[in-house]
Amino acid sequence: MDFEFVFPALVAGRFLLALAPFPGSLKHDHQLSSPLTSYPRLQEGVYLFQHGVDPYSGGLFRHSPLLLSLFSTAIPLQRHVSAFLWTASDAVAAWALVKIWRSRKKLQSSSRDGLIAAMYLLNPYIFFPTLALSTSTFENMLYLLSVMFACQGQVSASLLALAFLVQLSIPSIIFLLPITLLLITSPISYLAAPKLFTADLRKTIPILLEFLVYSTVLTFASTLACGSWSWVAQSWGAVFGLPDLTPNPGLWWYFFTEMFDHFRPFFLMVFSVHLLIYMLPMCIKFQHDILYAIFLLSGVMATFKAYPTLSDPGLFLSMMTLFPEVYPYLRHPIVTTFLHLHAALLLPLFHHLWLSQGTGNANFFYASTLVFGMANGAALLDAIWAGLRIAIGKLPDGAEAVQE
Amino acid sequence: MNLYLVLLAACLFVTSSHASQEEFHESLTLKPLQDGKVTSHFSFRTLLRGATPRNPETLDKEDNPQHYTLFPLTLGQILREYAVTELHLTLNAGKWDYDRWGYPEEEGVGTGAELWAWMGESSAQSVDQRWSGLRNALSGLFCASIGSLDEQRTTSPDFTFQPKGYLPEWSSSHQIRHGTLPSEHVCTENLTPFLKLLPCKSVSGIATLLNPHKLFDADWHGLGVHVRYLHDVGIEVRLSFQTVADPIRYSFVGKRDWSLRSLFDRAIERSCPVATTSEVRLQLPAESTAQISPDPSSLDNGYATFDISKVAKPLNIAMVWPDELKFEYPLTSTPEPLTHISVHRTLKGYSQSRGVLSIDVTNNMPITIQTSYLESMPWLLQFYLHSLKLYYNGVSRDDLISIVSYTPPVPHSRPTLLQAVLTIPGNSTLHLTLDVIKPFLRYTEHPPDAQRGWDLPPAIFIPLLPSQASGSPNGTAMSINGMEENKVFPNRNRIRPHKIYTPILLVDPATPDFSMPYNVIIMSCTLIALIFGSVFNLLTRKNNDLPIERILDILLNKCIS
Repeated sequence: MDFEFVFPALVAGRFLLALAPFPGSLKHDHQLSSPLTSYPRLQEGVYLFQHGVDPYSGGLFRHSPLLLSLFSTAIPLQRHVSAFLWTASDAVAAWALVKIWRSRKKLQSSSRDGLIAAMYLLNPYIFFPTLALSTSTFENMLYLLSVMFACQGQVSASLLALAFLVQLSIPSIIFLLPITLLLITSPISYLAAPKLFTADLRKTIPILLEFLVYSTVLTFASTLACGSWSWVAQSWGAVFGLPDLTPNPGLWWYFFTEMFDHFRPFFLMVFSVHLLIYMLPMCIKFQHDILYAIFLLSGVMATFKAYPTLSDPGLFLSMMTLFPEVYPYLRHPIVTTFLHLHAALLLPLFHHLWLSQGTGNANFFYASTLVFGMANGAALLDAIWAGLRIAIGKLPDGAEAVQE
Repeated sequence: MNLYLVLLAACLFVTSSHASQEEFHESLTLKPLQDGKVTSHFSFRTLLRGATPRNPETLDKEDNPQHYTLFPLTLGQILREYAVTELHLTLNAGKWDYDRWGYPEEEGVGTGAELWAWMGESSAQSVDQRWSGLRNALSGLFCASIGSLDEQRTTSPDFTFQPKGYLPEWSSSHQIRHGTLPSEHVCTENLTPFLKLLPCKSVSGIATLLNPHKLFDADWHGLGVHVRYLHDVGIEVRLSFQTVADPIRYSFVGKRDWSLRSLFDRAIERSCPVATTSEVRLQLPAESTAQISPDPSSLDNGYATFDISKVAKPLNIAMVWPDELKFEYPLTSTPEPLTHISVHRTLKGYSQSRGVLSIDVTNNMPITIQTSYLESMPWLLQFYLHSLKLYYNGVSRDDLISIVSYTPPVPHSRPTLLQAVLTIPGNSTLHLTLDVIKPFLRYTEHPPDAQRGWDLPPAIFIPLLPSQASGSPNGTAMSINGMEENKVFPNRNRIRPHKIYTPILLVDPATPDFSMPYNVIIMSCTLIALIFGSVFNLLTRKNNDLPIERILDILLNKCIS
């Protein structure tokens, strides 16, 4: 179908959905927004800021000062304004996804554009967090914009978007290296014909320096906006210290609820470092197709980050539409799909049984987050396997691909 | 020069120790209530004339030796050690029913333990260090768990808790520390050390009546320790005990007649020889069918007074209603409300992650009044202040509240402090709602029997009567225009600001499974290791296409070796 028709129709549909009278409890749902992205907490922070109380002096508000200054000065946090802004941000993200696809295929437009936009805008893992007005919507948008600009070779725009993303969510720093590499290579698919990395690595230095400048400026701007450095510990520190143990679909919260006090710092360190160690191997193994490494790293983030919401795996799954060439080589697509469906049923059900109904206990929800973790891990493994397997191509009869 | 200084200091010390005289006053106030209950309020006041609180700047120097005859030494030592200017400790059990019982004689009636102190700032030892020491010392002195009033429960509500006495003008200013522990209960082990602080113990005088068997059987009971500094007078320590007993429960036929023997199982056998004044005051009910015996020493202002040193002993005051065969409970509350405002506070919502705090404040007076409102909430309940809504006659009226100060909570450490002033039009009800969230605790932070939940401290309201409200909120003393109040409530004779404590709340945060730590560590780590291992297995090996026979060979070789 024609993209010029499908995209406006999808966006219009999403606007109608955003204005639909959904229950207010959606905003408080732990699976759709975490303490770092929750809308009521953003409202609370803006309220406190406007009434002369430092919102970072307490533990309720952990958003970036950039969001605080945006919503306390330029844009009022009203229902319709917010609904518009959040949906528009999703539309921008979907458009960026389509642009990434186009630059990967070196096409002006393709028949797949509409499908890609639909896979983003109609993904329930994406649009439910947007309906809950979770600020992870902005994180996804900035991530896709950064990748899009990197694909188009626009260094400054890409780095600026990434610098904003890192301000909103510090773990996204793991995308810095692959995006830098993408900027000096091309987004064109070389999965099927791997080649060694040929670009000059010295070119990365000015790029990294430019990112450093943007980040420093934004950090100082944040400090200026809220008047002190207290935001660093409250907003970035929360990712490493996990002070708020509100449940989410990730693996950290119950682990650190049940953790012995004297082991807490050690495991916090292990979990934070664990997220970081995927960056380099992915970039080395997929040096011929850095965009694929970026995609895989978003899968790692969705599975292992400190305060994930459903929108993180949603981004990973929606990005899968960019790589149709690997579909025939996925390892266990049926199993992964069923794991995801299973988790999608269990998560809201057990969350409700535990916290609202009172007939289940914490283990119910914990078990469903484990299933969800398995689903995300399986999807990640499928994608890695397929990305490597495609290089071998079609096998003669009686042969099987193995690793040695 | 030094010798002169020493001599001068010695002279000063001698004169000051001569000047400090000690006085002991004891009194018991009995008041029959409209619902047949009787409140008794014991007050034991020791005055150390000419004494001043210790200046905290001198904390690093040797303190003057303390010699007391009547003043409780153990308490005095604590006050000197931590340089406390003013101290209030109350330990209560039960819910004070303001609608039926009116204002209490002793205003600190919040359920559980409440401790607040004004202390001067000092470079020698910080206020927080001394506050921590004070808590632990009082905890030891009164055998109560006040030590657990840690920084998770400590706030500085300087607007609501004005000093009762005088704060000396030192070079540094004074600070308040306040903490409540609603789950703490008062019992015999707290009363025994309390009695030891009295000069006559429970051997003679009014303190004879402090019989734990009866006191802790009362519907409401609580003890208090109040230390304050009166300018140009000295340091006053007041130990108080307050009960609300139900004579109808004790009587077989449902009569409300009572006597000291029925209330306390004792009578006053002899007077305390060191007491300067020792009296029992009995408030006479408005209806005159009641008879009292024996005859009081004096009668004035609706009170019958018995001077213990003069009346015949043993003294067993009794009050009987001879015409009444059986007490009829009043079906409705009195036509005239007993307090300026009535407050109802509830926590609504069934979810274990969020709820709504709902407060109804009714103004019982025909004029518009203001009331201060204090929430000192542990981080176990966190407010969304932006969701604060006020409704008056069903209409949203956010202009009727003004927030004086707000300190947001910090998880695992600091409580919320919300101080506000509400304006309530005459004879009407203000409805206030506030969205709250219940945080998730580490499994080690839950108390034993975690499913019961946590007791939350009471909110405190102080009706500010018209002349008070016009004063600046940070004024040192809340003056009150007695004329104004007496016009509205002619038969209310106590003229001072009254604190109103709401009943405590219970919050039930979601609990983890307490038997799971090892399982969770094992299962989460297994999942992470599984994904990590598989990813690195894929990333670190070389891909190849091999014929099936070759794969079988490799597998076979592996099995053999």
